[in-house]
Amino acid sequence: MTAALLDIRDVHIGIIRRHGSDEIVRGVSISVAPGEKLGIVGESGSGKTLTMLSVLRLLASPPLGVVKGEILLDGEDLARVDAKRLRAVRGGEIAMVYQDPMSSLNPLMHVGKQIEETLKAHGSSPLVASDRTREVLGQVGLADPERVRTSFPHQLSGGMIQRVMIAMALATSPRVLIADEPTTALDVTIQRQILELVTSLQAETGMAVLWVTHDLGVVASLVDNVVVMYAGRVVEKATTTQLFARPTHPYTKALLQSLPGTGSSHRSALHQIGGTPPDPTRLGPGCPFRVRCPYAEEKCAQAEPELIDRGEGSFAACWKDPSQW
Amino acid sequence: MVDLVLRAANLTKVYRGRRGHAPVDALSDVSLDLERGTTFGIVGESGCGKSTLARLLVGLEAPTSGTIRIDDQPVVISERSASRELARKIQLVFQDPFSSLDPRMTVGKALKEVLTVHSLHTDMTSLRASELLSMVGLTRRFAERYPHELSGGQAQRVAIARALAVEPEILVLDEPTSALDVSVRAEIINLLVRIQDELKLSYLFISHDLSMVRHISDDIAVMYLGRVVEMGRYDQVFVTPLHPYTSALEDAIPVPNPEHERSRQAAGAVAVHVQVDKVTRGCPYAPRCALVEPRCRDTAPTLTEKANGHMVSCLVALDDAQ
Repeated sequence: MTAALLDIRDVHIGIIRRHGSDEIVRGVSISVAPGEKLGIVGESGSGKTLTMLSVLRLLASPPLGVVKGEILLDGEDLARVDAKRLRAVRGGEIAMVYQDPMSSLNPLMHVGKQIEETLKAHGSSPLVASDRTREVLGQVGLADPERVRTSFPHQLSGGMIQRVMIAMALATSPRVLIADEPTTALDVTIQRQILELVTSLQAETGMAVLWVTHDLGVVASLVDNVVVMYAGRVVEKATTTQLFARPTHPYTKALLQSLPGTGSSHRSALHQIGGTPPDPTRLGPGCPFRVRCPYAEEKCAQAEPELIDRGEGSFAACWKDPSQW
Repeated sequence: MVDLVLRAANLTKVYRGRRGHAPVDALSDVSLDLERGTTFGIVGESGCGKSTLARLLVGLEAPTSGTIRIDDQPVVISERSASRELARKIQLVFQDPFSSLDPRMTVGKALKEVLTVHSLHTDMTSLRASELLSMVGLTRRFAERYPHELSGGQAQRVAIARALAVEPEILVLDEPTSALDVSVRAEIINLLVRIQDELKLSYLFISHDLSMVRHISDDIAVMYLGRVVEMGRYDQVFVTPLHPYTSALEDAIPVPNPEHERSRQAAGAVAVHVQVDKVTRGCPYAPRCALVEPRCRDTAPTLTEKANGHMVSCLVALDDAQ
């Protein structure tokens, strides 16, 4: 086991109120080693995006804030670094690609110039910045990098913009790439190209990748390990192979079953999880998944389980061993 | 005799270009027949014309040429008031339920408004509203709620209930599950299948999610740059695809199975996406095609039946038939 490069330790994120706070992310621990590709899966409201935003201190604060926990980059606590150091980390050592690329770019500036700005902010000379911009735009597989460089965002398609965002993120050769559903809005063919691109660039540079998605197909094709989040907590951690072969949390199992696959027959009823995710600010005691869980028993209403080792590298926050399902 | 609820013949839509720009052929010569009580799936990448097709079919826009017949009656869309009665028979459900529901209107009011718009003088009684809501799996208490009080899945159910309010025969579903969480998608798909059986509805299901299209559709058309390049029964199109584009789309979908994905990577399969705006000569897919031959760049193929109603527009695939 290699030492963690980015170590998110027991992070709690809350809506800060005058008296106390309502926690919506409740003790999430996620770590990635250099060269590891980690997938983070969960439905909207599970806290996956908030956790990623907290890494770069990008939470909308107020009202949101990290109430507890540490985020360590190579042992350095990012919650405590000063503004100057934080600027160096953001877009430098840790780069992030957001879900909606159109709203992340300045509409009035050529995209090439925007990449150059990032590089200059991280210490490149104008000349180096301009060379590097050409280089990364070529690397992300854009057909005509020179034309893209001198285009405004509105002149490019969604797939091209998303590649520009990835080029921008990669320009500074970050050690960690955080991608928040970067391919969700794209066509399957472009998505496939981006997945292949990230895989090959990652193999070249050895950066760590955190890939937030709700597409289990993307998980299977891209990442080595997976973290499943539900109601502001990590409910399962596993290797990709184990997660699909032997899910150890009922929620993961239900997610896998809900997909129309080669196994389900034409127009047959798909497996439904039933119910709705709980309001994370109004959780009582017990496991937050229990009301939707087919295996729930008395114990589940009394205490919320921590991650339990289920062997083969799988950990699940569930009282029941999968063999008892 | 096949009972066709909708016939679209040779639909073409050309948008006038902006000053100095060439006109855009959004749709070229698209024909399709929808059999009553069945689902017709339409797949393709963004820009392939699938949403333009939806807009023409529900009468939001008039085609440049071509005809649409519902229940064997021509739909005329040139005048505003024309064929309301036919427009009632075909209703549209959009991708994002929140942007298609008025945030300041309760669910009950939204259901009522449809009747007014269609000048149906029947009253939306609370009984009828709760009937509609229960059809989509919601309790009548939802009539009092505003859209912001709904989850994504609930809002999409309301959008479906609203489409059903005027008792249509056809629903055009434009990416109805794409904006929803994975766990909610299955619920909506199950709901659609159930109400289709109960109400004998016909669906036009537009999506880029091939696994969902394959799951729900009886017939499928694959569109590329405004044209239908392959059409047939769902098993024909997905089990024995003829067009290289259909195969490329299939290959590109990430399969939730790590073994499968690993073997794909070992095989080095690559789905090539090339930005193609307009092809003036030959096959429009030729610049991206893995099986391209010199003749493809000169001669444009036409959609031709290869076997048992399985149609394809590809010179190479059609040759193999012999």
